[in-house]
Amino acid sequence: MLTSVLSTSFAAPWVLLALAALPLLWWLLRVTPPAPRRQVFPAIRLLLGLNATAETPSHTPVWLLALRMLAAGLVIVGLARPVLDAGRDLAGSGPLLLVIDDGWAAAPFWPMRMAAAQAALDRADQGGRQAALLTTAPGADTAPPTSTPLMPVADLRTRLAALRPKPWPTDRVAATAALRTAPVGSVVYLADSIGNLDIFGQALAEHGPVEELRDPGAPLLLLPPQSLADRLVARVVSVPQSVEREVAVLAQSGDGRTLARVTLNIAPGADHAEAAIVLPPELRNRLTRLVVDGQPAIGHVALLDERWRRRPVGMVAGTSISAEAPLTGPLFYLKRALQPYAELREGDLKTLLSRELSVLILADHVVADGPEQAMLADWVEKGGTLIRFAGPGMAEHPDALLPGKLLGGDRQMGGSMSWTQPPGLAAFEADGPFAGLSVPAEVRITRQVLATPVASQPGAANPVWARLADGTPLVTQAPRGSGRIVLFHVTANADWSDLPLSGLFVDMLRRLVAQANGVANSAVEADAIPLAPAETLDGFGQPTTPPSTATALRASALATTPVSPRHPPGLYGPQSGRRALNLGAGIRQLEASAPVPGARLETIGETAQARPIAPLLMAAALALLALDLLVSLRLRGLWRVPASLLLIAALTGPAMAQPENPALVTKLAYLITDDAQVDGIARAGLTGLSDYVNRRTNAALGEPAGVRPGSDDLSFYPLLYWPITPDAAQPSGEAILALNAYMARGGIILIDTRNGGSGQGFAAGAEQALARIGAGLAAPALTPLTSSHVLARSFYLLQDFPGRYAGDTVWVQRDEDRANDSVSPVIIGGHDWAAAWATDAQGHNPYATLPGGARQRVLAYRFGVNLVMYALTGNYKGDQVHVPALLERLGQ
Amino acid sequence: MSQTTLPPAARALEAQALGARLPALLVEATRVANTVAQGVHGRRRVGQGDSFWQYRPFVTGDAPSRIDWRQSARADRVFIRETEWEAAQTVCLWRDGGSTMRWHSKLATADKQNRADQLLLALASLLLRGGERVRLIAPGLRPVAGRAGLETLAAQLDTQSDETGVPPHAPMPRHARAVLIGDMLAPLPDIHAAISRLASLPIRGHMLQVLDPAELGLPYTGRVRFEGVGEQRHMLVPRVEGVRDAYAARLLAQQNGIAAICAAAGWGFSVHRTDHPPEAALLGLYTALAPSVGRR
Repeated sequence: MLTSVLSTSFAAPWVLLALAALPLLWWLLRVTPPAPRRQVFPAIRLLLGLNATAETPSHTPVWLLALRMLAAGLVIVGLARPVLDAGRDLAGSGPLLLVIDDGWAAAPFWPMRMAAAQAALDRADQGGRQAALLTTAPGADTAPPTSTPLMPVADLRTRLAALRPKPWPTDRVAATAALRTAPVGSVVYLADSIGNLDIFGQALAEHGPVEELRDPGAPLLLLPPQSLADRLVARVVSVPQSVEREVAVLAQSGDGRTLARVTLNIAPGADHAEAAIVLPPELRNRLTRLVVDGQPAIGHVALLDERWRRRPVGMVAGTSISAEAPLTGPLFYLKRALQPYAELREGDLKTLLSRELSVLILADHVVADGPEQAMLADWVEKGGTLIRFAGPGMAEHPDALLPGKLLGGDRQMGGSMSWTQPPGLAAFEADGPFAGLSVPAEVRITRQVLATPVASQPGAANPVWARLADGTPLVTQAPRGSGRIVLFHVTANADWSDLPLSGLFVDMLRRLVAQANGVANSAVEADAIPLAPAETLDGFGQPTTPPSTATALRASALATTPVSPRHPPGLYGPQSGRRALNLGAGIRQLEASAPVPGARLETIGETAQARPIAPLLMAAALALLALDLLVSLRLRGLWRVPASLLLIAALTGPAMAQPENPALVTKLAYLITDDAQVDGIARAGLTGLSDYVNRRTNAALGEPAGVRPGSDDLSFYPLLYWPITPDAAQPSGEAILALNAYMARGGIILIDTRNGGSGQGFAAGAEQALARIGAGLAAPALTPLTSSHVLARSFYLLQDFPGRYAGDTVWVQRDEDRANDSVSPVIIGGHDWAAAWATDAQGHNPYATLPGGARQRVLAYRFGVNLVMYALTGNYKGDQVHVPALLERLGQ
Repeated sequence: MSQTTLPPAARALEAQALGARLPALLVEATRVANTVAQGVHGRRRVGQGDSFWQYRPFVTGDAPSRIDWRQSARADRVFIRETEWEAAQTVCLWRDGGSTMRWHSKLATADKQNRADQLLLALASLLLRGGERVRLIAPGLRPVAGRAGLETLAAQLDTQSDETGVPPHAPMPRHARAVLIGDMLAPLPDIHAAISRLASLPIRGHMLQVLDPAELGLPYTGRVRFEGVGEQRHMLVPRVEGVRDAYAARLLAQQNGIAAICAAAGWGFSVHRTDHPPEAALLGLYTALAPSVGRR
């Protein structure tokens, strides 16, 4: 504060001379009594000649005088136009050398850096100095950093305005060389505060008095994520700080939508942090980039390419002739099981293995000894997952690429010559990859190959992943190198078992593929052709066309090539096989730089801006004069405090918010789950739906409300939206009673498990949670919602009822209950409708629909409108069901 | 205000409405014969009138036309029906028409003259209904009687505005009753002279002082320059709070002086505030004019 007082300067200091007139004003004010108030009075005869017992002081009170003097003084000082923090003069003399680190680390605070640089130029301008600019990152034309010649400040401003952060690091060695030719004078250095600064700092210090400006935050670098079997691990590195920092990383798809968001906490003193991004495979395959939420910067972007995304699955059958025959060929079933989730490739082994491959499925294919077996074994060793299905061929000729040693021949169970029944499957063990999958009772195994029993070693993974009910292994595995061999002891077609006919087959294959290593770890690299730059990122992480200086590089060099003007970060290679070159690929940690020796250190943004305070002083003077007016009125008896207080109260009274009576406005409601994110989505969703309904229909819905059954009165709300979270707590007895009463009296509860159809796996466990929570609810018998139900025609004619997800069944009451207008008291589904309806403050829909498209969003809103209409009007549109029959009867 | 701009007929109606809330006011008639006219006041003696007084036996010398044949037919003797002697009295009314009356503070809704007119006409309405004759104390005006007289009275009232603050000289019937309404802020000798002149006729009556609440309480604060109504006198009071008690004492002295003058002349005196309802004052006048048991 002291410094700010000291740094006050006046634009018109001669006005301060008027302060000398203040004593005169004091004298004038003192001798003038306040003007009397005139009052007509008939009984003046009685007043004439009366002497007052106590005189009103004919002089103005001293405190009022002081108030007026203060106001006058403020006006005078204000007219002198004082300016706070007018900026210190630059140290030293001679021209100003503005040194700016414009590498990737400068991007996050770029606008503030530019403002600070302009402020430094302002100061140079005030001092009448010339200036020169030195940027420390090599230019886009690969030219090493050089200093501009000395020029007037105005000319340098245009150069400064054209400056952009570069997507590559600074080159301080070259900058040190450039410094030798730079004009000598005082130095203002906008540092990015990373990297080794010893030599450069020394050179700067020798150049002249240095003022070093640092960014308010530490630079942050997002590394390319680690690709694990079931997750991506997002990693950031930073310079250690003394406080804990929180960084949000968004996983975005190619169209810019955010599919996941994870939060990384960088502990105090830590220089890195990581967090897992868990996504269903089909979503994970859509990811194109990870972005740190916040300022756009190249250090906050990590591009993903094929290595992180796809898990190509190759398939080879024993006999290729009948392999794809409908219903009998083994590949027929495999293809249908894996098509939606993985990229499938077919061909002979040599072709398949020549490209990158994550999983290879051999259906009763006997691996010949020799080069084929060696090639396969080599591929598995390097991380491939080999899934094999048994069959007659394998039963006769067991080869070496099996988890265990097979007993010769196969085992037949059941059949006309046997007493035994074909066994089913045993429940999966909790530590295997199939844990949690439910075992359908109708799956029977009639034939299998048998392996030599191997005692499982303690500590090693269980070699048996699935067993029959009699304990014999069905799926065995063995790790080999960094890869794995998995054997299904049955065929991939329905000859030996019902397994390929069941949904379990799909789930098992999906789990296996998800568990497999990605192609990033496979050593198969097509390295023949250099990859040309296709799309590069600028310093703010925005995609641009590659600069002319960007050159192609080989795939094998991608991992080791540092980012430079020749190889800017971005995507390289042809359309079909883009490879990402990330800034963070070659960087393991960031090193904080020491300050320039002898420099005056400041943080950008904390340097005070020059602030003219004349308006403030004038406003204060006006306020004092207004106060003086009130006081004068009060002294003359023209203003009474209670009346004015009443006036103020009357003016401010209506502004006070009254708690809104929920009975006055029709509004939708959601059950508060105490999960902030789910509640936020539910609220945003119902807000979006209410807006849509208000726009499209005559219904007028208010702001949605969050309710807690049992403590809030539910009777005002026509519709309750109840998102089920997997870890939802059991509702209390009062809550159950309240919900049951609500349903019995005509209320509608929309229960959303948020994991139906295309969204399967998003909220795993929500169904179990629903079963647990809903145990006490008096839900009626349910039936799937069809297009003939009133709900499908209460406003729009609907065929399906999607939300954020689509494809799952929606359940409504089966029996019509005339008591409540045949309205179903409960509607259960898993389409996460609230997320589809949700709008943010800008009116955008923040949550992408799956499988996607504007049509699905529109249908989701239409379902919402129908739902609201159904809740508000009951079976009013029930007659619509009969319209076709009526038209027919009318002979139309 | 709106009341002062009303035509005389409307003001008469307004006053009638006020008077209608009280029973017909019967002024005690004095015994003085020369001021008596035919009226509705029973004299508790036989005379001309409409009210039945008594039957008495026919005696020789009575006119045969006075025989009440209906009563005579019930008995063997012949009866004469006698009526009570009824007489009317003149009530003289006056209200101050000066400019000091045409003023009101924020504490009252109507000015003093408005209230005085209202009270005077209401009283006149009551008296006229009671059969009395009413006249204003002003030279050249005649008494009025009957209900139609009220509008005449209201019209006459509009022409009366003098600045003296006391009733003017006018020929008055002797033994009449008088009611004087005004703010009575005139000097006490003037009031004394006026009352003495009336009392010497002799006329007895009542004086009602109508004051604005601001005149009673002096509710001003701070530095105030007071100016008279319609006159040049003014006074700067530096601090009204300081003179409030002295003013109250002076007002009390004025009222005590008037009360003493009235008491000496056998008159009544009361004070009315314009922020109080007029009915209270009318009732006070009613009790002052009504027959008082002790004074008979």
